[in-house]
Amino acid sequence: MMQHFPVLAVMVLFLGAFLVEIFGSKSRLTRNIIALAAASLSFVFIAALVKPVMIDGQIISYWMGNWTPVEGYAIGIGYEIDQLNLFFALLVVLTFLLSGIYSIRYMEKDRHLGHYYTLYLMLSGGVLGLVLTGDMFNMFVMVEIMTFAAVALTAFRNNGRGALEAAFKYLVIGSIGSSMTLTGIALLYMQCHTLSMAQISAMLAKGLSPTGIMALALIFIGFGVKSFIVPFHAPAADAYAAAPTSISMIFSGMVNKAGVYGMIRIVYTVFQAMDLEPMSLLLVFLGTITMFIGVTMALAQHDFKRLLAFHSISQIGYVITAVGLGTALGITGGLFHAMNHTLFKGLLFLCAGAVLYRTGTTDLDKLGGLSKKMPKTAICFLVGAFSISGLPPFNGFASKWMVYQATYSKAVETGNFAYALVTVIAVVVSVMTLASFIKVTQAVFFGQLPESCENVTEVPLSMRIPMWIMSALCIFGGVCYGFVNKYLLAPATEAAINVSRYIDVMMGDGYAASYGVVDMTVAPAGFSYWDPLVWLVLFIVVLLAFCIVIVTGRNTRGEVLEAKPELVDPKYDTFFSGEESMHSHVGGSDLFWGFRTDWKGYFDFMQGMHSGIVNDYAIWAVTATGCAALFMFLFIH
Amino acid sequence: MTILKDLFYILVFPGALFAAVIGLLLAGIDRKVLARMQKRVGPPLRQPFYDFFKLMGKETIIPHAANKAAYLAAPVMSVASLMLMMLFIPIFGFSAFSGRADLIVLLYLITIPGVALIIGGSASGSPYAGIGISREMVTMMAYELPFIIVLLAVARKVGGSELCFSMQGIADWQAANGCALFHWALIPAAIAMLLVIPAEVGTQPFDVAEAETEICEGPLIEYSGAPLGLFKLATAIKMFVMTALFTALFLGGIRTGFVALDAVILVAICAVLTVLCMTLIHAVTARLKIEHLFKFYWTIVTGLALISLILVWLGL
Repeated sequence: MMQHFPVLAVMVLFLGAFLVEIFGSKSRLTRNIIALAAASLSFVFIAALVKPVMIDGQIISYWMGNWTPVEGYAIGIGYEIDQLNLFFALLVVLTFLLSGIYSIRYMEKDRHLGHYYTLYLMLSGGVLGLVLTGDMFNMFVMVEIMTFAAVALTAFRNNGRGALEAAFKYLVIGSIGSSMTLTGIALLYMQCHTLSMAQISAMLAKGLSPTGIMALALIFIGFGVKSFIVPFHAPAADAYAAAPTSISMIFSGMVNKAGVYGMIRIVYTVFQAMDLEPMSLLLVFLGTITMFIGVTMALAQHDFKRLLAFHSISQIGYVITAVGLGTALGITGGLFHAMNHTLFKGLLFLCAGAVLYRTGTTDLDKLGGLSKKMPKTAICFLVGAFSISGLPPFNGFASKWMVYQATYSKAVETGNFAYALVTVIAVVVSVMTLASFIKVTQAVFFGQLPESCENVTEVPLSMRIPMWIMSALCIFGGVCYGFVNKYLLAPATEAAINVSRYIDVMMGDGYAASYGVVDMTVAPAGFSYWDPLVWLVLFIVVLLAFCIVIVTGRNTRGEVLEAKPELVDPKYDTFFSGEESMHSHVGGSDLFWGFRTDWKGYFDFMQGMHSGIVNDYAIWAVTATGCAALFMFLFIH
Repeated sequence: MTILKDLFYILVFPGALFAAVIGLLLAGIDRKVLARMQKRVGPPLRQPFYDFFKLMGKETIIPHAANKAAYLAAPVMSVASLMLMMLFIPIFGFSAFSGRADLIVLLYLITIPGVALIIGGSASGSPYAGIGISREMVTMMAYELPFIIVLLAVARKVGGSELCFSMQGIADWQAANGCALFHWALIPAAIAMLLVIPAEVGTQPFDVAEAETEICEGPLIEYSGAPLGLFKLATAIKMFVMTALFTALFLGGIRTGFVALDAVILVAICAVLTVLCMTLIHAVTARLKIEHLFKFYWTIVTGLALISLILVWLGL
């Protein structure tokens, strides 16, 4: 029974998509019920696999129509769920379920919601299918479903400015990525005469032919485009900003994770290219420039959602860097950061959505002081902002700490100074991330309330629930990270490295050995020096001590005088050089002046590069592919 | 018994009480020596204690535009995180909890007071505070780059061919091989670290965020009473924490074996460092502009730290 769960999880989503289109276009209730039922069923199917796969260590294989391999040749389409797939599948189902709940109220004012839910379910099914499949061509089909659903959803609110343009850019760049993937898969098929990932992996174990290298370059770049690493990042900013926020959350939570998953699967499992030092260098290089360019572009933004979009790019850079190191600690850190990024970036997008829902704008220069009107959203936002900036004890701290540790230990092991610089850049990027979230905090939630926002109220409960869940998971991941590591990260890391097991489950025992794939067992990545639970206890004790001091100090003489609306006393106004106080808010574009002047040349250059013309972006994409292919041909033997 | 011991560590030594008293003492020394350098008599050494207790007894006003929770929580978070840091920094041979934290944890803990100041200032709703937090953040970006490079250089020197981020490991290595400061490859890093300290603490000429003559103490403008007292206390403790961190990183080899004596030596070294890198610079310079500050840290100070890192990587 259990081996049917993965395919059922994908099927209910596609089935739901058709049912919504047929029955849901008129009645709002039917539509919501079908969409949420499909999403929750899919969630349940995947969650039911946690115990057998993650804890008991089984790997589930499923051949469609029972077309099992004949004489060592896989002809049918197979699903294979090992710990790595399941890890990403869990992120995917969590994201689309929460997004679905959020959409109910968030999208209520839009028209043609039947189409919205159809596309939403298609997108979810596409991504879930992509991470579960064990067949190259099936993977490509799912990539296409995902891309086109995503393009259509980007253009969904096409009454606004820029939605169609964003969708067009996404379409062009996304298609370049898809066609590269397809070409790469065709080359692989030409060489191996099979499409099963397990079998290809066994056949490529002896070493890569020139065809194989070309295929690796093309498929790798194809997935790089899907995860929006630099230089394919330009359409991401537009698309994330233009799409409805519930969909932006899906984009950053699962669509670019799907790209990351594809890269890990291709590089680690199918091509087993991670023992090759140049591949590691390429990944780390791409990851580092991605995180740096992403965050500096984010610093220059003054739109809430665009800023978050650039941060998505930047955080994916961390993931790619860590995964590219190829060490156990690196993969663990990368996967952990991928998971944390899904949580905190989803949370931040939901907060942006809440602000947009109530105020109608995401322009950082027009908002301010909302924490008084939307206190719960503000708390969730702060949790997300602290998590992404990596402040302890939130989850981003734990994963970034692992990334630094992994990059620097790789530097020390290999004696390569470049990796040490990567650690430095990663820390600086983290500080800049903090800076740009300080900017959002000041511009949106603190400071002074503009008159246009006087009547803003807190968002409805069904929109707050996903935010609370995400916030709770952010704190849980940071505090109980030993638990997360034991049940999710360590199994997934081992699955990424242990290729022969992946092959044997699909193709029968001994198949991997017959092609000379060695059985690799990894020592779990060791973490010493840090015990967050103890740390948290300490923090609480110190905090308590202080509260006691304050409270006892209060009883003697001091008192807290809080401004009440009825108190008209100038001492409760903000200080205004002795003048009568008036509305004056330091908005998003006013911040970080010293930094922006010192880096003016850089920012002007980047602004010029991001011309907004899709031709330029297409040229970047093609050039980058050429460079990557050239690099691989020169250095991989 | 262990719990009692831990509580003693957390609340008395080397945690809350010790950090607060020594921090305020260092602030007093700073003010007194500064006054003598400027040919003034200066306040008595215990003036910061008077100031602190007076502020604790004053009324606390929360303005209309402020967000109450964040406004009141920020100073407490700031002080709590600094006291926590004191527990993780080894005092030569002795360390309360240092086995549980490493350089990266300290690097992030030291940012919390800055973030708390920013959140608190931002929550007060004043436009002056808005300018102040912007500058504070730029200052933070400025010194964080040389700071991490210094930490990595020390870690590489201590670890050799292995990764060593552990504070205890650094202390032990120095006990065996002599203070890190006496290894000449690390001297530029030590100078860079000495320049990071005043920016981290926010003393002149790097006090652009609080520049009282132009933006009226920036983030602190609306604060009064106990929260203001806590922020002042946090600044004082930060002096102690940063100088103690310098001692742990570069002078960790001096140890007598007696915790009390070690603590006295630590305080003496911290006092000297405070005078050297804060009071002295304060007395002879005027406040920088924010863009000059940023440029200074990303060129000269980072350059010094990088020289050390490269030298250490070359095996010197």
